[in-house]
Amino acid sequence: MKNISTVLIMFALAVSGSTVHAQEKFESSPDARVLGDFKVRIEKYDQLRKKADDSAPPLEKSNSGAKIKDAQNGLAERIGAARAGVKPGEIFTPEIAPVFKRLLRPEARQQQTKEAMKDDQPAVVSFKVNGPYPDKQPVATVPPNVLAALPQLPKDIEYRFIEKHLILRDARANLIIDYIPNAIP
Amino acid sequence: MSKAIIALALAAASIGASAPQGVAPPSKAEVLKFAIIGDSGTGDSAQYKVAEQLIASRATFPYEFVIMLGDNLYYGSGEKDYRKKFEAPYKRLLDSGLKFYATLGNHDNTNEKFYKPFNMNGERFYTFRPKPGVRFFALDSNYMDKSQTDWLEKELAASGSDWKIAFFHHPLYSSGGTHGSDTKLREQLEPVFLKYGVDAVFSGHEHFYERIKPQKGIYYFVSGGAGKVRKGDVEKTDLTAKAFDTGYHFMLVELAKDTLNFQVVTDQGKIVDAAALPRFSDVDKKKMSTLSQ
Repeated sequence: MKNISTVLIMFALAVSGSTVHAQEKFESSPDARVLGDFKVRIEKYDQLRKKADDSAPPLEKSNSGAKIKDAQNGLAERIGAARAGVKPGEIFTPEIAPVFKRLLRPEARQQQTKEAMKDDQPAVVSFKVNGPYPDKQPVATVPPNVLAALPQLPKDIEYRFIEKHLILRDARANLIIDYIPNAIP
Repeated sequence: MSKAIIALALAAASIGASAPQGVAPPSKAEVLKFAIIGDSGTGDSAQYKVAEQLIASRATFPYEFVIMLGDNLYYGSGEKDYRKKFEAPYKRLLDSGLKFYATLGNHDNTNEKFYKPFNMNGERFYTFRPKPGVRFFALDSNYMDKSQTDWLEKELAASGSDWKIAFFHHPLYSSGGTHGSDTKLREQLEPVFLKYGVDAVFSGHEHFYERIKPQKGIYYFVSGGAGKVRKGDVEKTDLTAKAFDTGYHFMLVELAKDTLNFQVVTDQGKIVDAAALPRFSDVDKKKMSTLSQ
């Protein structure tokens, strides 16, 4: 019976191949508990952001660049106030950060990936949790294989890199939610 | 007001730039005309010069919309940036009701997707069908996550259009010395493009023009010189069909039933590349794809 189960599992893996969804991959990994904790923390942030986003002025489609920028800044202020005093590591906890580093390592070591990430790197800038992503700097492109190696995020929350640091960025508020220093080799 | 009248009005209003010579590609059984600008948003005199030529070209080549290949607003996204780097240089086109369809580059703030004149409808990636038989897919190549690739597959699968045109910032193929081909993005997107029969792909990021030799039955263009130029950056490779890296440029494209006509126009109004490219049939694409594997 055990042999049949093993064969069935192997068959299922062979059939599904690369179509195994990233989320399923994480749910069945040995790090599932830690990544589950990450998911809970991200969802908590997402709820906080949604609440802040409902307040005026809303970030919505507009003919005015000024209105969009004002709404973005207003949202950042409200989130900032709601998370006042937040420290690095609230989402990337000491238990979660090493798991992310391990997930990133195989991808970040590939030469082509390194080149792609280096290509759009912003200039060396200082940043902090609950502070803005530097407005005049480019936003570093994250190669698809790197994104596929990490858990999916809610809409408008992104992984980005500044140098070797993995940033969790709220794209709507242009805010740095948390980061892992030296996340990649 | 008919398009012809709008074209005449634009021609009459055009000051400082005369229509580039010869900007009137063959148009038998024409389907759709559009223009392309990439990496335009510097707000400096080069962008304005290209914009003048773009406006002047419309008198002889009445394009129906403009697609933007990213880096629409360099170095900031405040009110002044929107004005100086988009609204002012293209004012006459915007005033005439012409639509722009933007994608995000690595220098763009994601919230540009909320800016109505970019017609992104609040989304990083989107599709539109300007006419029956032609569908465009605007992608966010800065962040090609699962939600986007799932969406793309679904939209391509549902698309019955004859022409499938993709546009996004980072080129899958490029001979640029500074950036070059984005091979990781290519690994992700090319199989999807091949599976669903994408015909042509337009990208920016590189500050020059390059027409890539057809790859597995798909035409690729790099066009990131509507505001910046990186002189001498094309390291001509086996990929290059034609390149131009000594000046600023934009593109004019016409999709006819089975032909893609295009011209590449400089800020001086000179044409540096033009051709009528036959559309590959699905059978041809499959053959070419198999041969190249």
